[in-house]
Amino acid sequence: MEQKVLKKDQIVKLYNDLVKDYNFYAPIKEKRNIIFGKITNPEDIVLNYYNSKVPPKEILFPQTDILFEYKINGKEIEIEEPKKLDEKNIIFGIRPCDAHSFILLMNFFSQGEFKDEIIMNRRENTTLIGIGCNTPKSTCFCTSIEGNPFQKEDMDIFLVDLQDKYLVEGISDKGKKLIKRLSWLTDATNADIEMAQELGKKAEEAIVTKIDLKNIDKILDPNFDHQIWKEVSEICIGCGTCSFLCPTCTCFDVIDENVPNENRGRRVRIWDTCQSCLYTLHTSGHNPRNSCIERVRNRILHKFCYYPENYGMLGCVGCGRCVQLCPANNDLRAIIEKINKIEQKKEEKVTV
Amino acid sequence: MLTTVKDIISENKVNDIKTLELVFKNEEDYKSFQYIPGQFAEISLIGKGECPIGIASSPTEVGSIMFTIKKMGTVTSGFHNCEVGDTVGLRGPCGNGWPIEEMKGKNIVVIGGGFAFSTLRSLIIYILDDKHRKDYKNITVVYGNRDSGEVLYQPDLEDWKKRDDINVILTIDREEEGWTDKVGFVAPVVKEVAPSPENAIAVVCGPPIMIKTTIAVLEELKFKDEQILNSLEMRMKCGIGKCGRCNIGNKFVCVDGPVFSLAELKEMPSEY
Repeated sequence: MEQKVLKKDQIVKLYNDLVKDYNFYAPIKEKRNIIFGKITNPEDIVLNYYNSKVPPKEILFPQTDILFEYKINGKEIEIEEPKKLDEKNIIFGIRPCDAHSFILLMNFFSQGEFKDEIIMNRRENTTLIGIGCNTPKSTCFCTSIEGNPFQKEDMDIFLVDLQDKYLVEGISDKGKKLIKRLSWLTDATNADIEMAQELGKKAEEAIVTKIDLKNIDKILDPNFDHQIWKEVSEICIGCGTCSFLCPTCTCFDVIDENVPNENRGRRVRIWDTCQSCLYTLHTSGHNPRNSCIERVRNRILHKFCYYPENYGMLGCVGCGRCVQLCPANNDLRAIIEKINKIEQKKEEKVTV
Repeated sequence: MLTTVKDIISENKVNDIKTLELVFKNEEDYKSFQYIPGQFAEISLIGKGECPIGIASSPTEVGSIMFTIKKMGTVTSGFHNCEVGDTVGLRGPCGNGWPIEEMKGKNIVVIGGGFAFSTLRSLIIYILDDKHRKDYKNITVVYGNRDSGEVLYQPDLEDWKKRDDINVILTIDREEEGWTDKVGFVAPVVKEVAPSPENAIAVVCGPPIMIKTTIAVLEELKFKDEQILNSLEMRMKCGIGKCGRCNIGNKFVCVDGPVFSLAELKEMPSEY
């Protein structure tokens, strides 16, 4: 039998089996939020959750990432490269949208003459055990981005929550191998498989938000100077939540952090956001993206125009975090709707 | 790569622009650092930070590499406080640089403003080198500054003015006693000099406003979009197309540029 069953009370066993060889990341509760944390006590794993507030991209691309450490002795400088990252990770409970975001992240980080080997290495050493979303949120719109709440292609192992147990399916070779190692998993019955299919259908139907993204890049490209950018950026407060918590955002800053009163420190990269005025401010004082208008436009264009131009796919996974967490309620879905209307207006003009 | 400060030259009267000459601590690093004019590098002071600076030296100036730095923030102030013998970190070369191969056999019009002249100096020194001079035709240089105290690379300019195979036109924004060259912004001076677009390439480097006004003049002079090359400035961190901020549309200035032809710029949003 290809598909197996993992009882929920066997999660501890699963953890104990794997934690010897892997850093085991799973959803946990921290300050009333769900985040992906490195598990030390399997009892901490939260199984009934929608999705994490901070996307699991931080396991590949941490908020603070040490590039190297240094010591300064007068005019002599000692550089200490970070240790080789050969630790293996498991991300248990990743949602399909976030697993898809890993494809988008790796497209970017592995592209071009200069590849981000730190992140590529982490990805290589990471296994995804994901879970389908039986109950998507009202802000979810993965089905508009050719995804669905049971999309398993981007995972290594895919689980379906069947109340007291999970249906377990190996997707990648990596995943299939791992399942073989977990020889104590029992075979799934036909009833289990049918139930999973049923849940998948229900979940897909539960996503009511449908936004039309078919021609979005073509609409956006010629409308760089459209007045719509003024409209959709009016309520933006430039806090950057949408991009910090976006599973596909990749921007970072690089700074030297000195240990106070000691001649040593580290060069780190930290998450940055294109919604900040400092992000593009030239030393001369000139700023090519001087107001929220340009900055909001850049974020939308990056996801829905530039990324598709460079990689042939949308730069959004439909997780809805930016919709749900924006303190000013600037709803991406509404913005897309407005953008789509630009084109309709044009068509109307043509027909007249 | 680590380098050592070999020499420090103060470039202007107010002493907020300095050129640092660096030598590689490791011979292998020097050999691997193959660059062309127009490229930049990320230079850093450990403990202060890193910043992208255009390479002011030419690869024909063997043995060291030069950066001209204006004192602005933490890192650049750190460079200004450097002493001979200090250690400077270096990553690069970054960016595409001037297309020196495609420019062969052409008349070259070099237009620069302010201290963005550094990579233009690199280009001019490269072309004027005995090995390369025959590959290029006439060279016209228009170099503008706020005032006479801001004119960089004085010894080089004096050398060039003595030569008959390069025409150097200097301009400053306002009249000054003793100033015998042109007065006025770069764009109108280019209009007055009116270089011919015939078999020519114009290379433009300066503040964004100068680039924009100069492009308009060159278009008036019937330069085609492909004949106008611009080196753009943008805030950068990584220099390798990953940190995100130097994008114009779907291009990154650090890896796809900093040199873009006007034809390329017209395909991109005007967000620079």
